[in-house]
Amino acid sequence: MPFPRSTAASHFVAGMSGTIERFTNENLACKLLDIGVRPGSRLRLVRKGPFGGSWYVKIDQQCLALRKQELACILIK
Amino acid sequence: MATSGTIDFSKTRPVVGLVGNPNSGKSSLFNLLTGLRQRIGNFPGVTVEKKSGTLQIEDLPPVEIIDFPGAYSCYPTSLDERLVVQELTNPKGDLFPDAILYVADVTKLDKHLLLFTQLRDLDLPMILVLNMADLIKEEGLQVDVTALSHRLGVPVVAVSARANTGIAELKKAIGGLLRDPQAFRPEEPFYEPGVLARDVLADLRQELPARNDYHALLLAHHASWLKHVPEETRHRVQKARVKNGFHSLRAQVEETMERYDTFEPIVHDTVRRAGAKASFSDRVDDVLTHRVFGPVIFVVIMLLLFQALFAWTGWPMDGIEWVFETLGNTVREKLSPGWLTDLLVDGVIAGLGGVLVFVPQIAALFLFITILEEVGYMARAAYLFDSLMQRFGLNGRSVVALISGHACAIPAIMSTRTIANWKERLLTIMVTPLTSCSARIPVYVILISFAVPEGSFLGFGYQGLAFAGLYFLGILSAMLSALIFKLVLKSQERSFLMLEMPDYRTPVWRNVGITVWQKVKTFIMEAGKIILLISVVLWGLSTYGPPAAMEEARAQVQKTVEEQGLDEQAAEDLMASEQLEASYAGHIGKFIEPAIRPLGYDWKIGIALFSSFAAREVFVGTMAIIYSIGSTEDELRIRDRMADEINPDTGQPVYNRATAWSLLVFYVFAMMCMATLAVTKRETGGWKWPIIQFTFMTTLAYVSAMIVYQVLS
Repeated sequence: MPFPRSTAASHFVAGMSGTIERFTNENLACKLLDIGVRPGSRLRLVRKGPFGGSWYVKIDQQCLALRKQELACILIK
Repeated sequence: MATSGTIDFSKTRPVVGLVGNPNSGKSSLFNLLTGLRQRIGNFPGVTVEKKSGTLQIEDLPPVEIIDFPGAYSCYPTSLDERLVVQELTNPKGDLFPDAILYVADVTKLDKHLLLFTQLRDLDLPMILVLNMADLIKEEGLQVDVTALSHRLGVPVVAVSARANTGIAELKKAIGGLLRDPQAFRPEEPFYEPGVLARDVLADLRQELPARNDYHALLLAHHASWLKHVPEETRHRVQKARVKNGFHSLRAQVEETMERYDTFEPIVHDTVRRAGAKASFSDRVDDVLTHRVFGPVIFVVIMLLLFQALFAWTGWPMDGIEWVFETLGNTVREKLSPGWLTDLLVDGVIAGLGGVLVFVPQIAALFLFITILEEVGYMARAAYLFDSLMQRFGLNGRSVVALISGHACAIPAIMSTRTIANWKERLLTIMVTPLTSCSARIPVYVILISFAVPEGSFLGFGYQGLAFAGLYFLGILSAMLSALIFKLVLKSQERSFLMLEMPDYRTPVWRNVGITVWQKVKTFIMEAGKIILLISVVLWGLSTYGPPAAMEEARAQVQKTVEEQGLDEQAAEDLMASEQLEASYAGHIGKFIEPAIRPLGYDWKIGIALFSSFAAREVFVGTMAIIYSIGSTEDELRIRDRMADEINPDTGQPVYNRATAWSLLVFYVFAMMCMATLAVTKRETGGWKWPIIQFTFMTTLAYVSAMIVYQVLS
């Protein structure tokens, strides 16, 4: 199921995917850019972690673990 | 150095730096190039582990290869990464390489080239090493190496550190580049400083000791923490940054985006993908990182790991024990009786044997942990437990430290460098030594036999269960202590998880073997040194004493023997124990006895405790020395001697259940490792935290041991 419109990635549930539009936090943006996550990258929430709070995320071919607060800084279109 | 045209190798050996992203297979390549010709030290001024080794290339002098820590870009977020930037922006430094081997995972070239283009813009002679070439066919990749080399302007070599291919070609390329470092000078930079950086650069370009624009830009970004930038320059940079409204983060985003735009077409043109297929890793992760099964599987893996640890190491341990016993007996037979023989047999050989017997377990523990790391499971464990850890003030990455802490707290504490948040890192460092490290194994083994009867329940031995319980107690206390520290310490710094989970790989056995070998070697050398020293000192302290006291003891024994008509054997034993009491060690033991009496310990245990504060494993050696002084029956093992020990006041065995449990609890909690304190001091940059660590752990140990003894006795 695609994301309806430009929204923070933290608002969605497992299985949803979309294209990264931009980042709303510069600190996080720098870290994400360093490991190759950019506007235009394909993001998919794969599954929620145990004990809540963290997410298993697939961005392009890469598997990442991101916290909910981190996903909140990623805008998806 | 690279700028000087030709390198004069007659004076210095050429230095080649291995640089690359984490998980690029850099360390595998390093192991392959250098084998066991490796030295491990520290980078100057910091505690980041520096691995270097030598490589022989044709007629060149031996090349020194330095394995730099993995880094994503020239904008570091962790201490390890900072070091890379620090050394590579300091042309006058000793570690500034004559050439760089840039290692990139060929399947992730579209990401791994970011740091490459940055270093290339620093005008460093480089070779691009495309690692994991064995995956090219497997993943349906096609790489045009010649075109890539042409577009990037550097030699490109495809190797597989896993399958050991392409190494000869790589060596040839290194030799070629070292002979003629000018051959591949960059014609134009990948990135020209953009609008956000131009003004500040214009102000600083002439003043900074920079090789080129990009070097100057990096100095402007990082002057505040780069050690080689003088204070005066730092001020000037700061002034220029304020004056021009230079926003470091924004400039970094701009630069990074532009670099991707530059090299992406190059990767696109030279690397062809066959189309993505659902990978093996994804399917494995469906199970291993499952919300419910994931943590369950983790616990099962840990249980199996510790079960295997004790099940598989029995026979090599018996073998080592046998070797040292035989050695001790042989030395005693061959040498004439005297103090030197006693020192050798009772002190050195018994002490070393007591510790070396645990090498199989330590090796096995490091083996398992290294395999978990190599396979890629540790990152998953960090993901699984991040939320839980956060509640205790820790980070998912703390799991790695807490697991490795069961082998040894020192590498575990060093592994916390990947935690960027200071508070989370500090908490991890503070509580990691509470997990039961392998040096506690010898102490547990000996004491458990006094604390728990033999027998089993539902197929689980009581003693084995007690063992598991002690490990669990360690973990539990670590988590609870973290919680308390979390509530006490305040921090506003933002914390990140943002963890990359690499594809699962079968481990490269060469890497595993080399790591385990190095850890075991370090353990033997370090423990060996301490035990040798403590054995000699302790033996001296327990053999000699204040002359008056020793004389008085001798006279007292003489009198008792005559009065009671004791036989020769009994007289000798009495003499030995009275002399130990009158010795310097006896005085020390007696001195601390009042303090440890509420814990159920006598002055002899006091001596063992006292010496254990150098290193825990010394306990066993100390016991060997204390209980063997003067005794003629050497065949008895330490354990049997301890069992024979009778409290003269009560007539009961000294090592009863209450005392044994009290000692066990004391050893779970107490900070008794000078090496760990030294690492904590280096990692936290001062004496404050190691002192707090020592105090809280030892207080916890004392209070808990007292409670345990008072309740059980």
